[in-house]
Amino acid sequence: MKFTSVEKGCIPPCNVAPNSLMGVPRVQTNPSRWHGDGWQGFVEELKSKGVVVREEKWERSIFVTDAGGLAFGLPHGVVRPSSSEDVSKVLIAAQTHLVPVITRGGGLSSEGEAIAFGGLLLDMTSMNRVLEVDRENMTVRTEAGIFWHQLAEVLRRDGLDYLSAPLNMTSTVGGVLGVGGIDINSPRLGCSADQALALRVVTPTGEIVECSGSENSDLFERVLLGYGQFGVITEATMKIRPFTHIKMRYLYYSSLRTAIEDLQLIVREDASDYSGILTVMDSAINLLVAFDSDGREQEFDARWRSRLRGHGEVSFGVRLALYYALHPWRIKEALYIVDRRMKMVPEFFRPEFMREGKIEDRTVVFSRAVWKFWGGRQMVIPDLSASAEKFIEAVERGNAVCRKYFRYYTLYCVGIKKMEDLPRYEMSCMPPGATDFAYGCEFEPMLKDKDYSRDYLQSFKNEIYDIGVDMGLSYYRFGGMMKGYIRRIFGDEMVDRHLEMKRKADPAMILNPDVIF
Amino acid sequence: MMLKPVMCHEVCIGCSCCLLSCPVWNRTRDRSLTAQGRNKALQGGATVEDISNAIDSCILCGACEPNCPEGNDIVGLTIEQRGLLNMTRKGYPSWYPATEAKPTKGVRLQYKEVTLLAGNALKNDKDLCEAVLKLLGNKSITASDDGSDILRSMEAGLQVDKSRIDDFIYPLNSAGPLVVAEGGLRRHLKEWLPDKKIAGLGEALLSIDSIRRSLGPDDLYVIECRGFHSDYARLVRFYDRVRLETGVQLNLDLQRIAIPTGASSIQASEDLEAAGCIEQVKWILYGRKVSRIIVENLADIDAFRRVTDIPLVHVALLA
Ligand SMILES: Cc1cc2nc3c(=O)[nH]c(=O)nc-3n(C[C@H](O)[C@H](O)[C@H](O)COP(=O)(O)OP(=O)(O)OC[C@H]3O[C@@H](n4cnc5c(N)ncnc54)[C@H](O)[C@@H]3O)c2cc1C
Ligand code: SF4
Ligand code: SF4
Repeated sequence: MKFTSVEKGCIPPCNVAPNSLMGVPRVQTNPSRWHGDGWQGFVEELKSKGVVVREEKWERSIFVTDAGGLAFGLPHGVVRPSSSEDVSKVLIAAQTHLVPVITRGGGLSSEGEAIAFGGLLLDMTSMNRVLEVDRENMTVRTEAGIFWHQLAEVLRRDGLDYLSAPLNMTSTVGGVLGVGGIDINSPRLGCSADQALALRVVTPTGEIVECSGSENSDLFERVLLGYGQFGVITEATMKIRPFTHIKMRYLYYSSLRTAIEDLQLIVREDASDYSGILTVMDSAINLLVAFDSDGREQEFDARWRSRLRGHGEVSFGVRLALYYALHPWRIKEALYIVDRRMKMVPEFFRPEFMREGKIEDRTVVFSRAVWKFWGGRQMVIPDLSASAEKFIEAVERGNAVCRKYFRYYTLYCVGIKKMEDLPRYEMSCMPPGATDFAYGCEFEPMLKDKDYSRDYLQSFKNEIYDIGVDMGLSYYRFGGMMKGYIRRIFGDEMVDRHLEMKRKADPAMILNPDVIF
Repeated sequence: MMLKPVMCHEVCIGCSCCLLSCPVWNRTRDRSLTAQGRNKALQGGATVEDISNAIDSCILCGACEPNCPEGNDIVGLTIEQRGLLNMTRKGYPSWYPATEAKPTKGVRLQYKEVTLLAGNALKNDKDLCEAVLKLLGNKSITASDDGSDILRSMEAGLQVDKSRIDDFIYPLNSAGPLVVAEGGLRRHLKEWLPDKKIAGLGEALLSIDSIRRSLGPDDLYVIECRGFHSDYARLVRFYDRVRLETGVQLNLDLQRIAIPTGASSIQASEDLEAAGCIEQVKWILYGRKVSRIIVENLADIDAFRRVTDIPLVHVALLA
């Protein structure tokens, strides 16, 4: 195997050959805890500059893990900045005293990307004010630590909405612009990061820089989807749109392949405003489509509905009943599907969120359902993102892995529009080979019914990620514990090029170390 | 009184959903003062003394509870934590009730009809109290003991003598439906009188046609949040029907949680501003066009008056 030479003092590349660990149930790749040298001087410098560092254990405990619940680390201290200047002071001092700084938004990533294994944790959620809503240009300027839901609350008082965000309400603008973000409108609007028009970024050396497509565009492109490697996003200007109620429609399938083919048709031909696949294992596959207007729904019915092979709920229910009648040994699975349907459907049709057959505040309805039915102390959500051509095979292989490891699981698939060949897509969730659209699938086992060991969960994740390596795909998220895959998936040349850029921007390698490099 | 068994901080998965409607978070942007902060700190080995600030900050509005995917009984947990904290406190916070709930020595009444538990604010406004009684029906009565002292003590985590609670509950056992003005009492009454029909004052009055009909899209109707959140699954639908029928604006956020003013908290009884009520009222009004504000809870009038000169009226006066 080939070892890439790196300068002394820098984090070396992973010295594991691309295929050497295939199939080996290896443990997660947590970095060791930072030794703590220089901490006191760092804290004193910040204190002298008026920045409060919270060192009590009970303050730090809040951040001990993330939504994944598999990686654990305790920072030496926490800062809740109230301005870009606070962040700048932290980073300048960190460069001097060589203290690692981890930026944390909602902490809803699940591979330890926002966990501090010692050092300082920047809790960005303290910067959560909406600064300006510009109706004329349909933009909003906001501090980047704001939860998407808080932003929605403010915009809705003006009848407005953001374009796209993860379905969980408590991820932050900064944390999502820094990673990507997908929504069921990503086939039309791209990943959530694509709604950003301009950013205020504090670079790893503490400079406060405004950037956009036309101003400091290199930095803009590096910070979007950049896992917090090239700066802390403190403010963002984003596109917004008028708020709409949406009409949801559901089509049911028993074949993953057919459902995905139909999803791809919808995405390619822009047949609906929202689309995605949500499954109960591979037995009940639900293709959802939704519309912002009656006109779009009517057009869908006239032009596309007859070309799609999904069934209505009743006819699918009859088919499913017949199937399980002929396969009585799978009765437990049938009961699970029925139970899931009985519990979940009312959640999506709660009367206080329905207006004339349309969903008002879909993000609340979906997010609450996500937390309720998929949330938990541990959330294991490995994913794959692929070009249109490779997607079906990737999902089928991932599904086989899910079947092997878990009795109950869900697959969640969406299309993602690729805006153009933007530099931000390099070494990101956009897979190589994707032209107009990429497709992503999350593989989500239901963990509440049983206790699983960490090794078991990690083995499961590895098997999914190995598919990515084998097929030359990418992942929605790939930092933290997944670091071991980065070189395998992106190759040494690309990773070294990014590492070089990182070293230039962050000479002491203090900002989000260990997340990517 | 034994501290009520409540769900445990251990159930918290750290999702932050409780922050979204928490007035303390809104005011301070400090996670450590929220339910999440308390739960995570305790999971990390903190003592209640370590997190005393957070325990004392909570205004028990209950807005976080319907948001919690793990069904954490956050209000109950906070009351329990205050109780534990009281055992080691050197002194009580200045907003603690001056007197604790003590057993009453008097004749034990037995109510039969619709019974109004008016609470101090409504009881002190005699005309309004009478107007409310009239609206509730000819035979309705005001309970002479409305348990306000019990509520205050419990909110402060102070021990309440069991015989005091028995004295309070005894006459209510035989009563008709209860109409409760102080929302904070509802969660306890549900436990003490599980089979009793209990309504909030707003719900009872909004069931009167003439009151409902007088509401319109230019009105902002301010739901009393503690009672609302203590019976959320039912009341969210009740108020949604009112909204659909009348077009009235409600102090609900996008999750259909009532945005609390905080004015009925014990902290606010000492200092509305320090309890964050002014900020909350500003947030309720942000971006809204309204020509009248209707409140269920008298304590809210003062909070709104400090922020706006939009006309304010109690729901009972709409009839
Ligand atoms: C229940 C649940 C549902 C989810 N649903 C979806 C979904 O529908 N779609 C989807 O795309 N994802 C989803 N996710 C994943 C999650 O939303 C994303 O990982 C998201 O990016 C996390 O945002 P955050 O604010 O929590 O960031 P964090 O997890 O705090 O941080 C993520 C990364 O961004 C960096 N970062 C954080 N803030 C900043 C900043 N201000 N500047 C620079 N870098 C920063 C961190 O250092 C870290 O590397 C879900 C997760 C959960 C738990
Ligand atoms: S009860 Fe109210 S103040 Fe207390 S944590 Fe919940 S939302 Fe916050
Ligand atoms: S909503 Fe519930 S589970 Fe989530 S952080 Fe708050 S208390 Fe914890």
